[in-house]
Amino acid sequence: MAKEKIQFEVNGKHVRLEVEPDELLIDVLRDHLGLKGTKAGCRAGECGACSVILNDKVVTSCLIPAMKADGGKIKTVEGLETDGELHPLQKAFVEKGAIQCGFCTPGMLLSAKSLLDQNPHPTIEEIKVAISGVLCRCTGYQKIIHAIDYASKATPSKEA
Amino acid sequence: MRSKQSLVWPKRLHWDKYFRPQSIPEALQILGEFQGKAKLLAGGTDLILQIRNGEIAPKALVDITRIPGLDQITLEGGVIRIGPLVTHTQLSQSPLIREKATALSEGASQLGSPQIRNLGTVAGNIVSGQPGADTTIPLLSLDAKVKVVSKQGERTVPLTEFFLSTGKTVVDSMREMVTEIYFSPLAEDESSVSLRLAKRKALALPILTVSVVVSANMKQRKFNRVKIGLGPVALIPFRPREAEQMFASAPLTDKVIKGAARKAAQEANPRTSLLRGSETYRREVVANLVERGIRQGIERLEVKHG
Repeated sequence: MAKEKIQFEVNGKHVRLEVEPDELLIDVLRDHLGLKGTKAGCRAGECGACSVILNDKVVTSCLIPAMKADGGKIKTVEGLETDGELHPLQKAFVEKGAIQCGFCTPGMLLSAKSLLDQNPHPTIEEIKVAISGVLCRCTGYQKIIHAIDYASKATPSKEA
Repeated sequence: MRSKQSLVWPKRLHWDKYFRPQSIPEALQILGEFQGKAKLLAGGTDLILQIRNGEIAPKALVDITRIPGLDQITLEGGVIRIGPLVTHTQLSQSPLIREKATALSEGASQLGSPQIRNLGTVAGNIVSGQPGADTTIPLLSLDAKVKVVSKQGERTVPLTEFFLSTGKTVVDSMREMVTEIYFSPLAEDESSVSLRLAKRKALALPILTVSVVVSANMKQRKFNRVKIGLGPVALIPFRPREAEQMFASAPLTDKVIKGAARKAAQEANPRTSLLRGSETYRREVVANLVERGIRQGIERLEVKHG
């Protein structure tokens, strides 16, 4: 198979690379770029551990051929912090005990960021819908919901 | 299915070529060249899974997401048109669809998860041919039509004639693609509702999806007509025609609603299934959700004409 040249912006950095035509975005992020914060869970779009924000929308990177993301703008969990300072959502997760094993945390954070970008002051029900695509096997949902609610109230309309 | 030797999915999915055509004729040209060994990719939420599960093994993927102009929802000349790249998120957020095809917006917002709704397209949802697909059922009750294009030209297929069997539609994936789904917006005397029963509220296949379009004269307390979409209760998405007939010019009474809901349950043909429950249970669910759908439809008409 001939390799294909693609490029995208990942966490604000422009990246050029060569990929196989059948490589998926999740593996390009993890294996080519070393962004292991994006987790490989079910590889079937059901667990949400591989969630990233692609062109302002939260998506499961296990269902996206890397070539489809060519030219796109991607944010992974590594891109949430600014100059070494955690994103308000990350701080809220730490403060409110919304992390247990941590495997779902990147997907939860990116789902939450995607929500707050569009809707800075969501209701609890809107928060639940926003994280419904990510499974937490520790079943720590209440703390996660609480943390997102807390972050939305602590940082009025602050863009990350 | 997942191989017995390994509990880990393979990373690579083994297509050799990935095309990104800029136009519909270009996409159809590639489909033709590969003689059935190429597959169109839009959202990919079904396609990538089918490849991963070993159900299909295309040599080439034809990514149609770069073709301009296919992601529009329009209302023109009394017709709502949905392009083949319109996602479920777009549908569920569109004020036009919310108002003029409420059941479709509800169906789209109940599908999968935010991630899946951001990727998956309505056209893909119908082309996958699943009998309980979340946007197929409301489109069925809205009497939608599908425009299918090949190099030879285009044809229009009513959604009621679109499905052949589970996973099979009239679209010849070797040479055709869906380019548009269209239907009439809800009229003044119409409302619509989609209801869904599943084990969880997200990422669970439906036990039953029901959509109704209710047309009634609220002053005279009479139904004009009711259209009902049901799935999965048969090999293909289903319209219980006898139940629909029972509403024609019938008085707006409990007896009519319950009788027709019961008839819909008789017409449906669900099988006993580990995932969805026994046949008896599933028929009860049909009767209950049809009744609930009709009642909500009437409530919406009351609000509309309040």
